[in-house]
Amino acid sequence: MAKNHYLERFQKGWKIFILNPLGKTGIILLIIFMLMAISSFFIPLLDPMYDPMTGIDPLIKESMPPSFQHWLGTDNVGRDLFAQLMEGAKVAFIVGLASAFVSIVLGTIIGMISGYVGGITDRILMRAADIIMIMPSLVVLLILASLFGQFNIWIIVFIIAIMRWPAVSRVIRSQALSLKSRPFIEASKVAGASDIRIIFRHILPNVLPLAFLYMTFRVTSAILVEAALSFLGFGDPSQVSWGMMLQWVWKSGHMFQAPYWLLPPGICISLLTLSFYLLGRAMDEVLDPRLRKEEERK
Amino acid sequence: MIENDNKLTPIIELNGITKEYCAKATFFSKGYTSVMALDNINLAIQKGDIFGLVGQSGSGKTTLGRLLLKLESPTKGIMKFNGKSINDLKGKGLKTYRSKVQMIFQDPYQSLNPHLSIAETILEPLIVNKIGDHNSRKEKAIETLDTVGLTPGKEYYDRYPHQLSGGQRQRVAIARAIVLDPEFIVADEPTSMLDATIAIQLFKLLQQIKEKYNMTFFFITHNLAAAKYLCNKIAVIHNGIIVENGPSDQVIQHPEHPYTKQLIQAQPKLNF
Ligand SMILES: Nc1ncnc2c1ncn2[C@@H]1O[C@H](COP(=O)(O)OP(=O)(O)O)[C@@H](O)[C@H]1O
Ligand SMILES: [Mg+2]
Repeated sequence: MAKNHYLERFQKGWKIFILNPLGKTGIILLIIFMLMAISSFFIPLLDPMYDPMTGIDPLIKESMPPSFQHWLGTDNVGRDLFAQLMEGAKVAFIVGLASAFVSIVLGTIIGMISGYVGGITDRILMRAADIIMIMPSLVVLLILASLFGQFNIWIIVFIIAIMRWPAVSRVIRSQALSLKSRPFIEASKVAGASDIRIIFRHILPNVLPLAFLYMTFRVTSAILVEAALSFLGFGDPSQVSWGMMLQWVWKSGHMFQAPYWLLPPGICISLLTLSFYLLGRAMDEVLDPRLRKEEERK
Repeated sequence: MIENDNKLTPIIELNGITKEYCAKATFFSKGYTSVMALDNINLAIQKGDIFGLVGQSGSGKTTLGRLLLKLESPTKGIMKFNGKSINDLKGKGLKTYRSKVQMIFQDPYQSLNPHLSIAETILEPLIVNKIGDHNSRKEKAIETLDTVGLTPGKEYYDRYPHQLSGGQRQRVAIARAIVLDPEFIVADEPTSMLDATIAIQLFKLLQQIKEKYNMTFFFITHNLAAAKYLCNKIAVIHNGIIVENGPSDQVIQHPEHPYTKQLIQAQPKLNF
C-alpha cells in the first residue's frame, strides 16, 4: 500500500516536471546520452578494431578525420573516436551517478543525525563538514594524485563523493531541524519510538525529495571534476573518458589540428552536465513549497 | 467526593512545578531574559477525572501538557504519576511511562506524518512497544478506528492524511493516543483548529472514550464553555499561575478570582 502512495506522489510530480520546458529538454538530452552509453556495450562486438581502448585500425598510422569506416575519425594511434565517445558516455554516467549516490547517502544520513540529535554531535559533524566544504575538491584530488600516483577510476569516484557530502548534509540538516519540532515527530516520541526509528521512518521520507534534487547537482559536479582531473593527466589511464580524450588530444599535439577529435568530448561534457542541471532545476520547481502546499490541501 | 479524594492517590500530582525558559543574551541586552512559563503549579488529578485547564493563549497550558508527557523537564518541582516521581525517568522507565500517558495535539494538520498511512500511524505505538503480532495489531487498529468513529475502520485503514478532513484527522490522532489503552491522556486544545459542530462531535467522542475505557483526561482549552461542557474539574491558569481550581460548577457559578470572573463575562454563552 505504501508503494501506491509513493507512486501517486511520483505521478503528480512527474506531470509538473514533464510539462516544464527545462525538464523536457533535460530528459531528452539524458535519453540521448543513455542511448550512447548503452551503444558502447555493442560497438566493440562489431569488430575488435572498434574497442575504445585497445582497438587499433591496422591501416592507420596517424589521426584521421571522419570517414565511412570511422564516423568521427581516429586518434593518433588509429583508435576509433566514435567508440571512445560512446565509452565516455558510459563512464560519465558511472562516475556521476556512483559518486553522487555515495555523497547523497552520506550527506543525508549525516544531515539527519546532526539536525535531529543536535548538541555536541551536531557541532562535531558540522565542523567536519565545514572543513571539507572549504577544500576545493579538484585541488585535493590533484595533490593526492601527485602524492600517490594515478588512481583507479573507483577511487576517484569515492574521493569525489567524500568531498561532496557536506553541502548536502547542511541542507538536509536544516530540514531535519525544522521537522524535529513538528508535532508528528513528538507524537511518535510520545508513542515510544526510538531516535533511530524517528530518523528513518519519519524524517527520511520527508527529506527524500530534497536529497534527490541534490543528487542531480552532485552528478554534474562529479562529472566535471573527473573530466578536469583526466584532462590534467591525473585520471585513470586504463579507462577511456571524455576528459581522457581531451588529455590525449592535448598530449599528442592535436589540440589545434584535429577539431573532429577535440570538439565532440568537449560538447558532450557540457551537454550532459547541462542535462542534469536542467533536471535539477525542473525538479526544484516540482518541489516548490507553494506547489507542494496545494498538493497537501487537495 | 472530597472525602473520596483524600483516600485515593491522585493519578497525577504536581508539586511546585516551575518552568522558566531562558532566552540567550542578544547583542542588545546583556545577561539573559527569561520567560516564566509556569510558576509554582500545584495540582492533583484523580483517576476518572476530565480535568480542564483553561487559560488564554500564552498562559502556559501547552507547556504544562508537554511537561506531563516528559517532552520537556520542569525547572523546579516534583511530578508524580500514581504516587511515584516521574522527574528522572529515562530509557526503559520513560518508555513504560509513555505507554500509559498519551497526548492529542492541537493541530491535526501537523500531528500526522503525511508520508504514513493511517494504518502505519496507528500501528506505530503497538509496534514500538512490541504489543501483539502482525494480525492482532491490525485487528486492534481497525477496532480503534471504529471506536473513534471512523467506520468502517477497514475503509480508512489504507488512506493517507491528505485524503481526510481536519475532523477525521483529529480522530486518527485520538485513535493513535488510545490504541495503547493508556491511563491518562493530555488533550491540548484538540478542537481549536476545527469548526464548532465538529468540535462538539469530538467532545462527545472523548466523553464516550472516557466512559468506555475509564481513562483520565487532562483537557486543555482556552474556551471556558468547552471546559464546562466536558470537565468535572477546572483549573484556570493566567500567566503561568493557577488562579482558580475546583469542581466545574463551583468554578463557574462561584468564581473567586477576578480573572475567572472576567473570563466568564467574556463568554456569555456558557451552554452548548
Ligand atoms: N520553547 C520555548 N522557548 C521559550 N519560550 C517558550 C517556549 N515555549 C513556550 N514559551 C513561552 O512560554 C509561555 C507559555 O507558552 P504556551 O505553554 O505555549 O502557552 P499556551 O499553550 O497557553 O498558549 C509563552 O510566553 C511562550 O512564549
Ligand atoms: Mg498552546
